[in-house]
Amino acid sequence: MMMRAHYAIMCKAFSRNTAYRSEVWLRIFGNISIVFIQISIWKALLGTGTLKGIDIGAMITYSLINMSVSMILMSKVIYVVDDKLKTGNITSDLLKPISYPLLLFFDQLGNVVFQIIFTVVPTIIISWLLFGLSFPREPYAIAAFVASLLLALLISFFLGYLIALVSFWFLTTFALDWMITALITVFSGSFLPLWFFSAEWKFIADMLPFQFLGFVPAAIYMEKMDGSEIIWMMGKGSMWVLLLWCATKLLWWRAIKRLEIQGG
Amino acid sequence: MIQVEGISKEYKQFTRSPGIIGSMKNLLSREHTLLKAVNEISFSIEKGEAVGYLGPNGAGKSTMIKMLTGILVPTSGTITVNNLVPHKHRKEIAKKVGIVFGQRSQLWWDLPVEDSFELHRRIYNIQDIDYRKNMNIFLELLNLKEFITQPVRQLSLGQRMRAEIGLALLHNPDIVFLDEPTIGLDVIAKDNIRSFIKQMNRERKVSILLTSHDLKDIEEICPRMLIVNKGELIFDGTVDHLKSSLSSGKIITIEFASNPGEYVALENAELIADQGIRKTFKIDKGLDSAIDFVQSVSKRYPIKDFILQDSDIEDIIRRYYRSLEDDNNNELTKQERLSVI
Repeated sequence: MMMRAHYAIMCKAFSRNTAYRSEVWLRIFGNISIVFIQISIWKALLGTGTLKGIDIGAMITYSLINMSVSMILMSKVIYVVDDKLKTGNITSDLLKPISYPLLLFFDQLGNVVFQIIFTVVPTIIISWLLFGLSFPREPYAIAAFVASLLLALLISFFLGYLIALVSFWFLTTFALDWMITALITVFSGSFLPLWFFSAEWKFIADMLPFQFLGFVPAAIYMEKMDGSEIIWMMGKGSMWVLLLWCATKLLWWRAIKRLEIQGG
Repeated sequence: MIQVEGISKEYKQFTRSPGIIGSMKNLLSREHTLLKAVNEISFSIEKGEAVGYLGPNGAGKSTMIKMLTGILVPTSGTITVNNLVPHKHRKEIAKKVGIVFGQRSQLWWDLPVEDSFELHRRIYNIQDIDYRKNMNIFLELLNLKEFITQPVRQLSLGQRMRAEIGLALLHNPDIVFLDEPTIGLDVIAKDNIRSFIKQMNRERKVSILLTSHDLKDIEEICPRMLIVNKGELIFDGTVDHLKSSLSSGKIITIEFASNPGEYVALENAELIADQGIRKTFKIDKGLDSAIDFVQSVSKRYPIKDFILQDSDIEDIIRRYYRSLEDDNNNELTKQERLSVI
């Protein structure tokens, strides 16, 4: 019964996005530019050779998948919560007979569905025609890829939500978001795939949740992980989801005790 | 329905030292003062009762509503709404409560009005029959028909408030909190909203707690009134009771043929406004003395015209606040005297 409410929230968030359709073209153009720049850099670096078994064709696929995953991350939920806290509009959400994080998640999911249909899919199709793209052959890789996308959604959502909750105490989110964006950029492998990291840096990346926000889905898509590796990664990602979920639960409980809604 | 007993809410307010050195100091250590927004307030509201909650800015009205809905946790005291403690059962209580904030919107800004109603129906899990029935009533009474398909951002303030109020009543709540629902509206829109709220209160036995700066709202909708000031409950009773206990005075404005001068020696009357030939007096006794008063004035000074009026509720409240402040000042001076001794 409650599922219908969540589904309705998602649909409304989706239609809200359609109110600003002109952005769509700019986003697609921006994405293709990013992919083009990355491909140019890797062409210059790799030429016709390979590095650790990665050639230019693989790098094109990697760049495209990594960027597509980054388009559907929910870490920007920080700004939704931050804005609601600053304007006091969080009151309206708290007055609904529905769990606040779930409301937020499905609201974000509406955005994500919109992004996938109107930004990610067109970007992939255009880039495929322009630069070429390889597809996974094994069915298990496709299934694991979908599962890893789900993990990326959940982890990015909880990270963003966690930072937003921390802003209950600091009442400023900009610096925190800046930090988290930098960490995601580096450790999700969107600059440099984790294959090329040195042993120490690879170790740090393995300790952090950010690799699930780009590198892991891309590596699974490209069939660079075997079955046992995938299961290990999925287990680890689920642990992160659980851990972050508990952390937000704890912080939420503490935050609501000292919630001071501004204005009025 | 609502039981409030000895509720207090304290806020910690950080005191910021000014200037650069001050802000450096703030980084290292922060001092705070306790601010009592609500202080030991008790009252109860029965089913179907309409109660006005009145007080100057910063009197703790919104804080009270937030505690009643479970968004804020009280520092001390107990609240029950429908026999539930709000901050522990926020979601259960939300199903039975409707809220309108005059200064905030519950509607989805970018979407047509009806989309917000549709979403509300899902979130509150409203049966199709109830939904259709309520929508038909609201479309009619609140005149939602003319703008139901328009995006919320294109609505006028009056239209938006009508939609907000319909939305708050869509799930047949037992209690509706209205926080300044008519703020910034024109007279016609105000009338429309007041009569709708009154009708809902009468026909559906919806309990109402209304805060407003417009005393007409409270006078028309709420037979009972609570007045708060500086976090304390200072009056709980009917509007009539407030009027009769505070004053049965009359306001008389007299237009003289010529200015009788600044000092008009008149017993039993207080000069409250002086515009030369137009002077306004307040007299405390009933109507008889008002007529006597006008007669005695007209004997001494030629008068052209006079207007007799009851002191209205705004005037009463204004004087009520002022008398409280005077008491406060008296206490202060007493304290000052004591400290001198």
